[in-house]
This record gives sequence, C-alpha cells and structure tokens, in this order.
Amino acid sequence: MNILGMGIIFTGGRGIDCFEDSLKSGWRKPSEVSGPTDKKYSVYRVDPETLTDRAILKKMRRSDKLSRMAVLAAADAIESSGIKNINKERIGIIVASAFGAHATTFKFLDDILDFGEANVSPTVFSNSVHNAACSYISSALDIHGPTLTVTQFYFSFQYALQLAQAWINEERCDYVLAGAVDQCGAVLEYVYNCKLIQAHDGRIKPFHFEPTFQVPGEGAAFFLVSKRDSRNVFCAVENIRFGKDPDGHMPADLNIIDTDGLLPDESVYIPSLSPDIPAAAYSPLFGSMMIGSAFNCAAGALTLKNQTCYANPVAENPRGIHLLNDTGHSNVELIRCIRYNCHGEKAAIYLKKYKEPAS
Amino acid sequence: MKNVLITGLGVISAAGRDLDETLNSFAYEKRNAGRVSLFETALNYPVFEVREIPEEFTLKGQRTLSLALCAVYEALGEADLEAGLTKYRVGVCMGTTVASQLNDLEFYKSYRRDGSAPMTAVDRYLKGNLAQCISRKIGAQGPSLTVVNACSSGTDAIGAALSWLKNGLCDIAVAGGADELSRIPYCGFGSLGIVSPDLCAPFDRDRKGLNLGEGAGVLVMETANSARQRGKTSDLYLGGYGSGCDAYHLTSPSPDGTGLKASIHKALTDSGVAPQQVSFVNAHGTATIENDIVEGKVLKYMFGADLKMLSTKGFTGHALGAAGGMEAVFTALCLRKGWIPASAGFKNMDEAISIAPVKEKTAVNGCYAVSTSLAFGGNNAALVFRRDEKI
Repeated sequence: MNILGMGIIFTGGRGIDCFEDSLKSGWRKPSEVSGPTDKKYSVYRVDPETLTDRAILKKMRRSDKLSRMAVLAAADAIESSGIKNINKERIGIIVASAFGAHATTFKFLDDILDFGEANVSPTVFSNSVHNAACSYISSALDIHGPTLTVTQFYFSFQYALQLAQAWINEERCDYVLAGAVDQCGAVLEYVYNCKLIQAHDGRIKPFHFEPTFQVPGEGAAFFLVSKRDSRNVFCAVENIRFGKDPDGHMPADLNIIDTDGLLPDESVYIPSLSPDIPAAAYSPLFGSMMIGSAFNCAAGALTLKNQTCYANPVAENPRGIHLLNDTGHSNVELIRCIRYNCHGEKAAIYLKKYKEPAS
Repeated sequence: MKNVLITGLGVISAAGRDLDETLNSFAYEKRNAGRVSLFETALNYPVFEVREIPEEFTLKGQRTLSLALCAVYEALGEADLEAGLTKYRVGVCMGTTVASQLNDLEFYKSYRRDGSAPMTAVDRYLKGNLAQCISRKIGAQGPSLTVVNACSSGTDAIGAALSWLKNGLCDIAVAGGADELSRIPYCGFGSLGIVSPDLCAPFDRDRKGLNLGEGAGVLVMETANSARQRGKTSDLYLGGYGSGCDAYHLTSPSPDGTGLKASIHKALTDSGVAPQQVSFVNAHGTATIENDIVEGKVLKYMFGADLKMLSTKGFTGHALGAAGGMEAVFTALCLRKGWIPASAGFKNMDEAISIAPVKEKTAVNGCYAVSTSLAFGGNNAALVFRRDEKI
C-alpha cells in the first residue's frame, strides 16, 4: 500500500509545505492561555483563520472546528496526490480519533444546563455525534464509498491504517482516506493538566522519558492510501505491527517515536531504540496528542519522499540516545514509527521508500 | 470468499437477558417499554430499558461495558470459548456511541461552576474504551477497535471484524455493539423531533418516531480453519458486508437511498447471493418518517414487494451503537429457528412506502437473510447471513 497524498492541519498552519517548513525550522513556542481559574498554561491550538476555505467548507457552515480540520486535511490529501478525476465511488474514509467531538459535546451539555432538556439545539447535538467529521468529509468531497469512524486512546490511527489496508486488499475500495483528528477544547486541556505534568517552559521533551512533560495539541493528518501509484507517491506502508513485532530486528534507517508526555513514564520506548539507528520525535512541533502518531507518520513520509532528514526539534538528551541532530539530505529506505500505550504494548508502522515498478 | 462461521451469539436488551428470553419476547410479542428509570428527566418519551443486568457482569458506572460483557460471555459460551482465549488470535471490534464520549453532566457542572472537578468520571472514561476493555477482560490479544459510526456502529464493527478475518489479521473475532440509555442522546433525539410519545410503530402509516433503547449484541466469528482445528461446527455463516455513504446530509438519509442500495448490493455481491435468494430482511426500521420511507422503498426496489421483512425495534427500541449488533444476532437467530417475529407496532401500510413488514410470527425457509443499518451522517451498512442446512 502506498501513501499517495497527505493533508495536514496543525498549530503551524495548513498543508504539507507548512508542515515541512516547521520540520525544517524547528521548535516554536506554544501559545499561552488561561485555564478556568486563570492559571496560565501552554497549548498548541490551530488558529481558526487556518480553517476558512470557503470553496471546500461551503456546505458546512454549522460545523465545528473538529469537522473543519478533518475536512480540510482530507481534501488536501486528495489534492496533493495529483490524481485528476479520482473515482469517488471507490474511495473509503476511515477517521481515527481519541476524543472525537468532545468540545461540541460539552457545548451540548451547556445547552441542557442553561436552557433545559426540552430546549437544546438539534444542530449542536448533530455535530456532537462522533462520526460527524467523517460525514462532513463525505458530503464536502462527494465521496460515496464505505465510511468509518474509530475511537481509541491509543493506536486508533494505526488500526485505521491497518483496516484501510484490509479494505484495499479485499478491493472494497481502490483508495482510502485514512486519517486522524482531535480537538483540544478547554475541558480536555484542564484534564491534561490535572493528570499530567505541564511543560512550564512550553517544551515537550521527547527524550526525557521520565518524568515527562506535555503541551496539549490539536489538528488533523490525513493520508490517501492505495495499492495504485500516482506521480506524487510519498512512500509505501510496508507493514503495521501490534504487540509482538517480528520485524523489530529489521535494520531501519530511522526510528520515529511518539513520546509526547501523555504517558507519565515513557522509558518503555528506550529498549526499542538502537545505538545504531538515529531516533527522532516531532511532537514538540504539533503538541501532545493521542493521535500524534499520524503526524509523526507524516514526517516519516516526507523524509522518505524528499530523502531529507529533519532534526529533532527538541534534543535534550539526558539518556544519551542516538538522536537525529541535523537536517539535510540523507539516503533513507525504511522508517519505523513507534508508539507504546500505558500497558507497555507497542504499535509500529513501517514506512518504506517508494520504488517505481519496473516497466 | 473464505467462509466465516458464526460460532457464538449473545444478546441483552429490553426483550430479554439472553437468546432464550429474547425469543420468548419475540414469540409472544412482549414489548417491555416504559418510563425512564435510569436518570432523572423532565421529558416523557417511553424507552426500552434493560431491567436487570446479571450481577456477575455489572460494573459500577460502566453500564455500556456491563451490557457488552453480558452479551460477550453468552456468545463465548456458545462458541465453547469460555475457558480462555489466550491460545488463539482473537480480535475484538465493538460499536458504540455513548461509551465513546465524556458526557458526564455532574463532572461538567462542577467544572463550569468551580473551574475544577473530580477526576472520577474522567478516569472511568479513559479506562472505559469499549473494545479495549473487552479485550483485556477476555484476554484477547489480537486487534482491538471501537467503532463509532452512530446508529450503524454495531453493523460496521461486525463488517470490520469480517475484514480482519478475511485478511488473516486474526482467527476469531468478537464483534458487535453495545450502548446504554443515556440522558444526552435522549435530549438530543428529542430536540431533533424524531422521538415518539407513544410506543414506536416501524413502517406503520401512523408512526410518530422512534423510542430509544439499550443493550448489546455480539457475534463470535471464526475462520473455517480455526473452527475445524477446535473441532467446532456451526450452521451459521457471515456471508458478506457492505457499506456506502450517502454524502447527502448530517442527519437525514438521501431520499433516493443511494448509500443503502450500494451497501446492500455490496453485501450481496460479497456473499455471492442474488436478491431473490434472501428469505427475509431485518430492517433498520426506526419508525421515523424519513428513515422508514427511504428504507422501505429501497428494500422493495432491491428485493421486490413480496419480501418478508420486519423491524425488531418494536421490541428493543433504537439502541443506537448497539442496534446493529443486536439485530445481527436477531437475524442469525431467526435464520436458525426458521421464523421471524411480528414487526411489533405495525398495523397499517403506509402508501408512501408501499411495502409492509410481517404482522405476525412468520415461517422463513431460505438460507439467507439480510440485516440493514442506516445512521447519522449518511452511513449505511448491510450484513448477509447464511444458514447451512446440512448441519
């Protein structure tokens, strides 16, 4: 399965070019906001001005931020593939999320508390349903294939990608838009800050491992995947492994890890790193997200397509891990993107440099 | 296609705590609806609550998971897998709606009022992801996925599990849906003006809308190879799954039923079954004006006016993310038993639909049946079941 197109919305803006600029230019300070008790904290929010594409969003004036992020990233994924007249009857959609439309759900609870059960807004309720974002993607882009929304706190993106591969293998569709989206509303930020250590200097330190420091983030990353080719193929998805990883010994050129402060102890990642293979983690660019794997996967896909490595944005390294420290041209064939959950279980996505089939 | 056996069925709903109680309710047209007792509300729509969850499955504050476990263990029992799953590659794929959202009103009230709130509800939510919880409870070590496709979640979860099995990602899959009755969708559906003040009457001329319900329905699905190695046989198979999106509207189905037609067509093609071979359809049949018109017309178009069809929501209410799982179990069970119950609540044909569900317990003789689901967001999904007459 190949990644033919990508679309990204994150705190740094919209689009692959924007994401690549961010990978090249390195860490930027998050914004500072006030919590419910006026306590300040850092957050990587998406600027609403980023989400004002009238051509694509014309049918969704009442949609929430989560859906807008998802639709724009999905639209960009198709656009970036360069495929003209793609058969939209043959595209499936799988949207992965951890928290879904939680911000709109709380808005609906506001309605119940403020106006009473009989006077709540049907529009807000409709937008609070978990698959609203997926529905908006299908209607905004006129996609008629199978659509699925999945939610999990860990590995939701990896399982979405695995199912996309299964759909393509079965010829259920020719293309799948598989992606991840999460929004960082005020309540979720409060929860993060109650349960985890805030990065008071605004820096997620991916190689600190323990204790860990988080800065909540939000955004969407979508991938157009297919067995087919396009002129813009980013890379191939070689494999997706869960738990036991028989490919774990494979000599990858780069390990990208999802450390972002959402586990209080991330030292579980250390044994999967090797002194012979450089490691990178890009969470300081987009924030701490349960679906952060999708953004790291996008960074891996760009690395393979451009044959350019991107230096770690925050390289504090008390454990002496072999880090990727320089941005520049590099021959990269295979990247292992690794995530662990709170039970010490691993998911690994293997991305491989695309090679055109011999004619 | 590779044969996928259904080796276990489990269900709990207002119609019964297990398969036997459910069949009894179906046979004698028992409709166990009433006022809401699970939460305080000023609204007065009748609901189909599960009156009692067996104590061994009851987890405090986790009603959806409790309902799911009740159905899961019944299905595992029928599949002779109660003793443990660790030696098999087992995936868990469950659909839900309510269990996927942090919508605890007391938590949020406290947060709004004080700028702080106890984390009890949050912890329960973070530890309560449906598929992951079930995987841990039963010791499944294969893929684990929670599907949140609104009202087709259960059907789509079964479809995703079928893909896992066909692609060799697991040998056994526990799949279905579960949802508890919650105040939030109770208010939300009320605001949409599609909830009936009376008992629901799917496909009836005078229907006034849906009743909400709750429950869980679970299949144990298995590759033929896995079943053979365990020495397990079954008369039931999952033939195929289809899904298609209307790309039309967030809450209304496409008037021409584009996505539903595509999903049924795909499920039949997947199964290698012609429409005329289908002995009955268990329709989504929510009893809302729009759903029943679109669905009825599509079923008539695809299967003909003589189709035997029903909606079981007259016995269970609309259990949202659980509905597809429960109705998959009902469909498989009816195919096995050779009869379908009356479509409870139906009295008079709606000329706008021009196809009627069965009014009484009806014998069905064929080997194939279809279950359909339509959901918010324009999702449509269909499953095809097969009964093997030789066993």
